[in-house]
Amino acid sequence: MSSVRPKLKPETPKAVTGWATATGRSVWLRADGSWTEEAGLLGVFTGDEAEARLVAALKQEATVTDPYFMEVTADGKIAGRETLRESMRAEPTLSFGGAA
Amino acid sequence: MYRYDQFDARLVAERVAQFRGQVERRLSGALTEDEFKPLRLQNGVYLQLHAYMLRIAIPYGQLSPRQLRRLAEIARNYDRGFGHFTTRQNIQFNWVALKDIPEVLEKLAEVEMHAIQTSGNCIRNTTTDHFAGAAQDEVVDPRAWCEIIRQWSTFHPEFAFLPRKFKIAVTAAEHDRAAIRVHDVGLHIRQKDGVTGFEVHVGGGQGRTPHIAALVNPFVPETQILDYLEAIMRVYNRYGRRDNKYKARIKILVSELGEAEYIRQVEEEFAAQRANEKVDLPAEEVARIHAYFEPPALAPKPALSKQLEAAKAADPSFARWTRANLHPHKVAGYTSVTVSLKPLGAAPGDATDTQMLLVADLAEKYGYGDVRVSHAQNLILPHVALDDLPEVYKALGAAGLGAANESRITDMIVCPGLDYCNLANARSIPVALAVQKVFADPAYEEDIGKLHINVSGCINACGHHHVGHIGILGVDKKGEEFYQILLGGRADEKAALGEIVGPGLKAEDVPAAIHRVVEFYRTQRTSPSEKFIDTLERLGHQTFQEALYAAG
Repeated sequence: MSSVRPKLKPETPKAVTGWATATGRSVWLRADGSWTEEAGLLGVFTGDEAEARLVAALKQEATVTDPYFMEVTADGKIAGRETLRESMRAEPTLSFGGAA
Repeated sequence: MYRYDQFDARLVAERVAQFRGQVERRLSGALTEDEFKPLRLQNGVYLQLHAYMLRIAIPYGQLSPRQLRRLAEIARNYDRGFGHFTTRQNIQFNWVALKDIPEVLEKLAEVEMHAIQTSGNCIRNTTTDHFAGAAQDEVVDPRAWCEIIRQWSTFHPEFAFLPRKFKIAVTAAEHDRAAIRVHDVGLHIRQKDGVTGFEVHVGGGQGRTPHIAALVNPFVPETQILDYLEAIMRVYNRYGRRDNKYKARIKILVSELGEAEYIRQVEEEFAAQRANEKVDLPAEEVARIHAYFEPPALAPKPALSKQLEAAKAADPSFARWTRANLHPHKVAGYTSVTVSLKPLGAAPGDATDTQMLLVADLAEKYGYGDVRVSHAQNLILPHVALDDLPEVYKALGAAGLGAANESRITDMIVCPGLDYCNLANARSIPVALAVQKVFADPAYEEDIGKLHINVSGCINACGHHHVGHIGILGVDKKGEEFYQILLGGRADEKAALGEIVGPGLKAEDVPAAIHRVVEFYRTQRTSPSEKFIDTLERLGHQTFQEALYAAG
C-alpha cells in the first residue's frame, strides 16, 4: 500500500477490509460477519468490538487475506488519510475491460 | 527464436507443479499470507488494489504468434479480456484468481512461457532493443546475448536473494532504444578489432533516487561477459544494503562507494574470478544460441514499393501512419512496424484478446512469425514487406490499433497507477488520457514531432517519469491527487534525468499546462525538424518553466 496504515483511535469508526484469498477481490466485513465485494454494505465498528472483528478476520486465512482497519464515518462513508486509495478500491473509476 | 530444451521444459514444469501445491495449501489456509507471499512473488503473483496480478515473462520482448494467441486465450478465459504490456517488455494480467493461476501457468508452459523471476529480489527479464535483428544500426543481434544472460541468471543459486531486484538491458545500436543507462546494468554491444564485446554501465535506475549509470568498463570481450557480470553481482550481493529497501539497489552502492572505488572492487573480483574459476563462453555454445536468432529469409525487394506509394497517395491517414510507425529495416523493401497500444481513450499498453489474436495473425501472414513488445508498451512486427503495409494498416485500423503516434506525444509510457496498483499514490491513466485529448488532432501531433511524455503514479517510477522529455509524477496531498511536472529527461544514449520544475498541479490543470509547454516549444524551435528535447536543451528549463506555470 501507499503508506504505513494509520493507527486509528478506539472510538474512531472503522471497517475491516482485505482481499478474498481465492480470487483476490477487495472485500469488506459486513455487520453480520460475512464478507462482501460491495463497499456500500460494509459494517461500521468501534472500540473492543472492532478489535475483536479484526482478530477474528486475521484467523480466516483461507477466506480473507491481509485484513486491516479502514477509517469510515459513522454512517459508513470512507474517511481519513487513506480516503483516496480506499475510494479507488471501493469505487474504481475505470471500466477495466468489457466484463467489468 | 529460442526454443526450450529438455532442461528448460523440465525446470518450468517442476516449478508449475511446485506452485500448484503451494496455492492449494494457501487456499486451504495451511499457509498464511505471510508464508505464501514470498512464494507467490517468486512466481510473478502480486496482490494489487482490486485483485491478484500475474506478471508473465516475455524474454527480451519476443513472442511467437502461438504464444501471443495463448496470452489472448488467458486474457479471455481468466482475466477480463485484456492484458497490459509493461516497460519490462512483459505482460500483466490484472484479474486472475489465485485458484486459477496454476492452470494458467500450465497453459503458459505448453507454449514455453512462465512467470519465473518476474518479481522478487532477483535478476528480472533482460530487455533489449525491440527492433533487434531488424534494425539497420545494430552491430549484432542482441537477442542471443539476452538469451545467454537469461540462461545464466535463471535460478542462479547465488543471486536468488539479492538485496533488491536487478534489471539488465542490452543494446547493440548506437541509438539506444533500450534505456540501458537507467538500468542496474546496461550493456552496449560493440565491436573492436573484429572482436565483439560489451561496454558496461552499472548503477542506473529510477525510483525515488534516480541515477544515470556509470561507465564501468568500456570493453569486456564477449567470452568474458558472464564472469564480468558475476563480479558485478558478487560485489553487489556482498555490499549492497539489506537494512533499508530504499537504499538497497545497486545504484546506491555505486553512489556511496564512489564510481572509482566501485570499479576497483569489481575489477578485483573479476581478476579473482578469472584466476580461480573462470568461465570462458565456448564459441560453439555462443554460435548455437545465435543460431536460434537467424534472421528470416527475406526475399530481396526494391527499396521503393509502388503499392505502398500508391496507397499513401490515396489515403492521407495511411501516409501519416507510415511516417510515424515505421522503422528502417536492414533489408531493402522491408520495415519494422510499431503497432501502437496508445489509441486515444484507451489505457496505455493494454491490448484486448481480439487485438492480440489479430496481431498474431498479422505476424503469421505478413511478419515471419515474429512479434516484439517494446519497453514503451507497444507491439512490433519487426519484418514486414513494404508491399504489405496497406493490408497490415487496414487490419490494424479495423481493430483500433491504427494510431499513428509512435514516439509522439500521445504515445506515453504510463504505469497502471492508483487504478490498479497497491503502491501508487495517484492515478496515472486518467491524467494521461486527459493529456492525450489535447493532442488528439493527428496533424497537430505530427507537427509537434517526437516528444515523450512518461507518467508515474508514485515515486517508484514504473512509468519512467524521470526520463520522459516531459515527466508527470502523481502525488497524494491530503487525499487529493496532484501532479509534479518534470522537464528534460531522456532515456537514449544521451540519457538525462528530468527536473521537477515547480509545484504540483491539480489533475484538471495538467493538460492545459502541457499544452502551454508544447505551444512554447513550437514558437521557439528553430525549424519543425528541431525536436522538443533539443529546443529544451538549447533554451534551458527556466524558459519552459515559465510557460508551464503561465496563467491559463
